[in-house]
Amino acid sequence: MNESYSTGSLIRRALVEAPTLRRGLWVTLTLAMSGQAVTVVTPVVIQLVIDEEILGAAGIDMVGVVQKASLALLALVVGIWVGRIALLRLTRSSATGLSDLRTKTFGHILKQSVLYVQAERRGNLVSRVTSDVNTLQEFMEWGGVGLIVATSQVLLATGVMFIYDWLLALIAVGGVVIYLFMMRWFQRILAKKYDLVRKEVGASLGVLSESITAIPVVRAYGTEDLTTEKVAGALERRFEVEWKTARFGNILFSSAEVFAGALTATLLIVGVLVGINQGTSAGTLIAFLFLANLLIEPLQIIVETLEFAQSAASGLRRVMEVLDGEVEIVEPDEPEGLRPGGLSARFEDVTFAYGDGPEVLRDVSVEIPVGSRIAVVGETGSGKTTFAKLLVRLLDPDRGSIHIGGVPAQKIRLAELRDRVAFVPQEGFLFDDTIANNVRYGRPEADDAEVWTAFHELGLGEWVARLTDGLETRVGERGGNLSAGERQLVALVRAWIGSPDLLVLDEATSAVDPALDVALRHAIDKLTEGRTSVTIAHRLSTAEGADEILVFDKGMLVERGAHEGLIDRGGVYAGLHRDWVAGTKSV
Amino acid sequence: MPGPQITPWSVLRDGTLLIAQFVKAHKGSFALAVFGASMFAAAIVGSSIVIGWVTDNVIIPILDEGQDPNLLSVAGAVIVGVSVFKAVGIVVRRTAAGWLQFKTRQDVRNELLAHQLSLKMAWFESHATGDLLAVADSDTDQGTGVLGPLPYATGVSLLLVGTIALISIIDIWLGLGAVIGLVVVVVIDIRGSWITYGLWEEVQRRRGEVSSVAHESFDGALTVKALGREDYVEDRFARASDTLRDRLIDVNSTWIKYQVIIRALPQVLVVVLLVVGAARIQAGVITPGDVVTVAYLLALLAFPIQLIGFVLWDLAGSLAGWQRVQQVFDADEFMEYGKTSAGPSVGPAPVFGEQVEFAYDSKPVLSGLRLDLAAGTTLAVVGPTGSGKSTLCLLLARLWDPDSGEIHLDGRELRSFARSELPKEVSYVSQNSFLFDATVRENITLDAEFDDEAVERAARLAGAAGFIAELPDGYETQLGERGTTLSGGQRQRIALARALIRKPRLLILDDATSAVDPSVEAEILRALKGAELPSTLVVVAYRPASIRLADEVVYVDERKILGHGPHSELLRTVPGYARLVQAYEEESIRLRKEAS
Repeated sequence: MNESYSTGSLIRRALVEAPTLRRGLWVTLTLAMSGQAVTVVTPVVIQLVIDEEILGAAGIDMVGVVQKASLALLALVVGIWVGRIALLRLTRSSATGLSDLRTKTFGHILKQSVLYVQAERRGNLVSRVTSDVNTLQEFMEWGGVGLIVATSQVLLATGVMFIYDWLLALIAVGGVVIYLFMMRWFQRILAKKYDLVRKEVGASLGVLSESITAIPVVRAYGTEDLTTEKVAGALERRFEVEWKTARFGNILFSSAEVFAGALTATLLIVGVLVGINQGTSAGTLIAFLFLANLLIEPLQIIVETLEFAQSAASGLRRVMEVLDGEVEIVEPDEPEGLRPGGLSARFEDVTFAYGDGPEVLRDVSVEIPVGSRIAVVGETGSGKTTFAKLLVRLLDPDRGSIHIGGVPAQKIRLAELRDRVAFVPQEGFLFDDTIANNVRYGRPEADDAEVWTAFHELGLGEWVARLTDGLETRVGERGGNLSAGERQLVALVRAWIGSPDLLVLDEATSAVDPALDVALRHAIDKLTEGRTSVTIAHRLSTAEGADEILVFDKGMLVERGAHEGLIDRGGVYAGLHRDWVAGTKSV
Repeated sequence: MPGPQITPWSVLRDGTLLIAQFVKAHKGSFALAVFGASMFAAAIVGSSIVIGWVTDNVIIPILDEGQDPNLLSVAGAVIVGVSVFKAVGIVVRRTAAGWLQFKTRQDVRNELLAHQLSLKMAWFESHATGDLLAVADSDTDQGTGVLGPLPYATGVSLLLVGTIALISIIDIWLGLGAVIGLVVVVVIDIRGSWITYGLWEEVQRRRGEVSSVAHESFDGALTVKALGREDYVEDRFARASDTLRDRLIDVNSTWIKYQVIIRALPQVLVVVLLVVGAARIQAGVITPGDVVTVAYLLALLAFPIQLIGFVLWDLAGSLAGWQRVQQVFDADEFMEYGKTSAGPSVGPAPVFGEQVEFAYDSKPVLSGLRLDLAAGTTLAVVGPTGSGKSTLCLLLARLWDPDSGEIHLDGRELRSFARSELPKEVSYVSQNSFLFDATVRENITLDAEFDDEAVERAARLAGAAGFIAELPDGYETQLGERGTTLSGGQRQRIALARALIRKPRLLILDDATSAVDPSVEAEILRALKGAELPSTLVVVAYRPASIRLADEVVYVDERKILGHGPHSELLRTVPGYARLVQAYEEESIRLRKEAS
């Protein structure tokens, strides 16, 4: 989406999205630099001790040596303490900032319809709030700290060098600048290789996780060997790329050593040659060599950190892409309230397409009066489910308008809309929790007695009583401990307990046995008296008893009316019904 | 693995065992990496000797004593030479260590999959998929994390020995000071590693939790939104994320406490040795060059010494990650296989089962089950919601094993088949059709050898040929994450074609057409009936139209088979059955009465 994000703008953006990262950053940086200042104490003391004591004309004065050493130790202790405070501040602010960013990204993803429009991409989105943010966190904690410490070390060492001898310092700085330019060039090549690594890592994890998820299919079809081979192949490709890239990175990294050697040698030769004329002391030159060495370690850290930064930046880029994604269903600026009581609904010339795809619903206009029982029928792909999702505002139309209770749907506060309108999808998704807690998703304040009542009202008391732990039965991951039909029962009760004024069921009982299905229908009809219900029906018995039937075909509303009338008309509905009757005839 | 009693020694011991296990598999690359590290170590010792020599023979004579600078170029060349040698050591070490780490991860992932493929399905019921994926991904990375810095640390250990030896040769008192200093550093490292181990475990657990909450919330996004519970779910995620944050702060704070000390210690040591050195020069035992050598050596050691800390730190993290990997490897509920091969008989197979008992979570699901199907029979399995129909199918396909009792396919016990042999005779299609991220054709053939004609015929039989032809690339259309998204009914039909193409001797359809339109479903069933499949067919069904196609029906309720016979007979003799299959018909009649 945003290939244009440079690393710099990415970081600025991250600081905006997670302000905690920014808070007190300058204090932390100042502390880190001050703490680092003590690193310079060691070479200075060495110089002083060597020049004034060991090589001094007056010979070694042990009292002076001890005094100087004590001063150095004191400075070190203070420096450690300050540096520690800085690191603790940094780790706190980065952990907090990234946790905020994680939560923010999660909330943003949750607001996007891609989750249920393109179910396949879910797994991919999970990694936005897990591995991508983790990479960032690791970078902030290790790389970030390293970078700050290393940079301040370079700056301080350079400063001290200039105090000692400006010519030698200039040579050192010149060398460092050339080196960094070289590194930038290498980095670009490395970045390309990292893209390849990431691609293969993603591919291998994709194949691996698909295989683990598909183990029941693998077992049922005896394709163990094929699956193993496929995964092994992907892992081998990943290994090759990872290893080759690492090898290249290593050569890059080790070049810092050769650079260090060359710099030390140059400083030595220039220092001695110039020093003869200027009267440079041996102590100064030795201290200089130590300082030059002090430059190398942080430079290596900087190079390594830049390597690390590549993967952190691409993680951050993916997170930002999510945050840049538009929220399709937005809260109204000036909300209008709904009147209490049953809710009507009105579609006016509604057209909808998923993304750039074909129109799945075209020019649909329909009026659903308060208290009516509506059945929606049609073949797969006729647009029934899209109609239902538009009705409950899980999607917004591309053209046309939808009114609920006389108010434009886009002007109703989402919380109020969800409170008054219930939608039960076919999948009957349950959370890994107890039955009672799953039902409470529909009304969090409901107590156990109310949950019981809800089951009884729908005639499901007996079913709950049969379960090992009743309402406290745990349903497992995605409700896997229950059968598909049982999951639908819980989902239905969950919607029901919120006592909605408009109830929309999208094939919500498709996996329930016929006898129970009919019984549920009766219970719902009785309970929703005076309220509005819209049922997308797979089983046409629901349609037979409805006040009005809406028939969809290829995205258009082609027929509407009561059962008898539509049968007489001999159109699409009559055909569907004929198949249905033939299918349900028991003899 | 570490028991409840975690001591510094248990962390060290288990860590050593873990490392030994990894290194044993790839001794060569580890040896090469250590060799590289030794080159590096030798170079460090060498470079400090060079600096000492340069101080005594070049810098001091030229600058302080005014001698000729004729040795200067030699000194420069030696310094560069040593650093090139050091760089080569680094490349060898890092490359070999990288190879070791990447290869080990590759091995572990391959083995993880192989191990899981050999486990019973029951094991998977108690392990969340998200968790298993995390084991194969982040836990494996974390568990092998220690291999990265390990050779370096080994090299550094050699370096320490070299350093102490060198310092001791220069002066025994300086050597003693260095030994004491380094021992202090290592002891602090071990202590830090032990303390952070428990914290790391906590971090890994919290990471798993964040990932599970995200998985579940995104999976159930439609439900969450339909119920307007976004805030609640967001809160739940924020709580998990904040707990992870706190644990990360814990582990890092502890580490920082140790790290700053370890960073500073070599510097403290330099200052201390300088004082000792000054005293020894005064005593006339050593030269100023010796002191410079020692000081330079220790300054160079500052980073490598931290590395020992890193390894011990990584070791704690690795153990915590590896523990989760090991739990999967420890699972020993293996599928048991016999030696029977599929064939040579072809055509429909008879099925016989007796006294079959099955309990789930110690709650009986099926008991006293008896089933006797002649070859070529079409059996409908009918029963109320949650009565155990799917369990029966899973037992017949041997995805689950009965707790007691036996099931025979054409006279052979299901458990007597060798691995991958039973699926050559039995195909099972569930309600949740799993499609691979591959083409339509690959999803049907599962990479087995079938010609185009067979693929198309199976697709036609499954009622899938029509919509496949309309896909952008027909049978070559890429499905899944990277490709076209299909509707539930379309997915089910591809899964059905996958089963049909194999011409199984026993075909099990567990509500496999639940998402298909009634009219299309009727078509499919008619086609199946007309095709004279070479199969005995078991179908879980509700719709009388499907049931009527069956030769026999079993009615499952209250964990038992309550009726077995032709449809018409069960209608007369089993009231529960009649109530179930006639529910819609009766509802129609009632509604018509009401209307008139």
